[in-house]
Amino acid sequence: MILLFSIAVAVLFATGSYLMLKHDLIRLLVGMVLIGNAANLFIMAAGLSRGGVPIYPLGNRTSDPLVQSMTLTAIVISFAVSALVLALTFRLYGSHASMNLEEIAQAEEEQSEIDDEVAMASEASS
Amino acid sequence: MIIALPLAILWIGAVCLALLDGTRKPVGWTAVTLLAAATVATVVLGVDVYQDGTRAVTAGGWMPGIGITFRIDVLSIVFAVLSQFVLLAALAFEVSQGVRARVLPALTMFMATGLTGLFFTGDAFNFYVFFEISMISAYIMTGYGENPRQFRAAFTFTAVNLLGSVFFLIGIAALYHNTGWLDMDRIGQQMPLVAENPAILSATIIFVAFSIKLGLFPFHFWLPAVYTGTRGAVAAMLSGGLANIGTYGIMRFGADIFPRELEEGSKVLLLLGSCSIIYGAMQALSRHTPNEVLAYSSIGQVGYILVAIAIGGPVGFAAAILYAVVNSLNKTLLFLSASVRGLLVGAAFAVGAFSVAGVPPVGGFIGKLALFRASVNDDDAWLTALLFVGGALSFIYMFQLYRRRYWIPENGESSPLAAQVVVAIVAIAIIAVGIWPQPLIELSDRAALVIPGVLP
Repeated sequence: MILLFSIAVAVLFATGSYLMLKHDLIRLLVGMVLIGNAANLFIMAAGLSRGGVPIYPLGNRTSDPLVQSMTLTAIVISFAVSALVLALTFRLYGSHASMNLEEIAQAEEEQSEIDDEVAMASEASS
Repeated sequence: MIIALPLAILWIGAVCLALLDGTRKPVGWTAVTLLAAATVATVVLGVDVYQDGTRAVTAGGWMPGIGITFRIDVLSIVFAVLSQFVLLAALAFEVSQGVRARVLPALTMFMATGLTGLFFTGDAFNFYVFFEISMISAYIMTGYGENPRQFRAAFTFTAVNLLGSVFFLIGIAALYHNTGWLDMDRIGQQMPLVAENPAILSATIIFVAFSIKLGLFPFHFWLPAVYTGTRGAVAAMLSGGLANIGTYGIMRFGADIFPRELEEGSKVLLLLGSCSIIYGAMQALSRHTPNEVLAYSSIGQVGYILVAIAIGGPVGFAAAILYAVVNSLNKTLLFLSASVRGLLVGAAFAVGAFSVAGVPPVGGFIGKLALFRASVNDDDAWLTALLFVGGALSFIYMFQLYRRRYWIPENGESSPLAAQVVVAIVAIAIIAVGIWPQPLIELSDRAALVIPGVLP
């Protein structure tokens, strides 16, 4: 079981990292979500135990409620963050008319060149 | 009751303000007032903690160790008051210039909630939750201004720091798996029993998570793009307030939970810190725009904090805390004053430049002095030389920037007086720290002693 969990976490994390290195914004976003899910699975794998329902224990063994509540919290947080990143991606697309990260990086570079020129010009004028 | 008061003011205030239109002046000033009230409440709580020692309360009437604990010591108070003050100054600055987005005041309050909560909490997972509250508000705030530039900055910031948060979460899960506790004190007690490899792994992953927040040398790649892209007030909040998470986190986790690993890894920390100092200073020297110079300078400045933590012991930790406080104030002042113009602003910028360079009588001198004391105490000639060279380089790049910006005839109108006054107040605070450093030095000495790993 431990091997199975670790393989699953590793595959999720690796796929996520691979996607995050892509130049497409949506792939990047999916990569982030996958890595977040790798972490959630990792929490479950770190402390999941068999047993009765913790909120109403019938037998003398209950499962550990803490990992479940931690994962639940982490899922909620990653859900909110995914929504936020999706909105950001949309605004980025709206302002650059492109989903390609390289084009956006180029816009950044052009901007910093303009900034540099302005700074140099004000220096030269003094 | 009083323990929860600062958090309650911030949290309830944030939720209420989120419903209102923050672009209106009254709403903005309400946020400033609430933030000021929370700061005062924290200071009152701090006086209490300073006199009577650590205060702890467990939520929901659970047993300590089972329920979520809030544990407040001098270290938490120092960082909480510092971050709240920085956010207060930045928000007052932005409100006096006119807020452009309706959510900004509420988000600032949420960020203050997250920061205060994570400084106060004694529970590792709760730490993560508050951490995310402040990070999420920071993601949104980086996009404030709504130009393509700010969106790019926000996207970079979110993508990189999300990864950092995930690392931190994995670290917490690993700690829980190895020790069976989430309460930071209990984890610390269990850690000596944990085998060496898992302990080193969890320590490393948590260190990486905090270094990403701090923008330490190999993890700094996101920082220049973000700090140059966002608006001045937000850059001040990020570098003066949010970066405190990294400093506090490394100190809290390093000393409370991983004292053994911190000791073993001190050479690595020293190396990373030194690389940060040199790299930051060199890059700052070669840049032209104010925000870019300041961004690289902040990479260099966190290097000093890390070097002080690596030196360790009461002297090293006290120096790290002192330097973190002074550095936060410096960066707030510089980012704020770089984005406005006017008579008061030029003088305030000069104060900040002197402070980064470590020239008396301003606050930066006290920070550098504490560092020198720590490195001389450590009997490390190379380190002392490095600190000296780093200081000299920062003197050069700060005054290059000053000359470029203020030794030319001012064209354009000067900014609203209220914004200039806010900048001047931060400058006066830095001068006050430099002229009368005794309270801050005593406070950082006490804060360093609170950490159990540091007790002689």
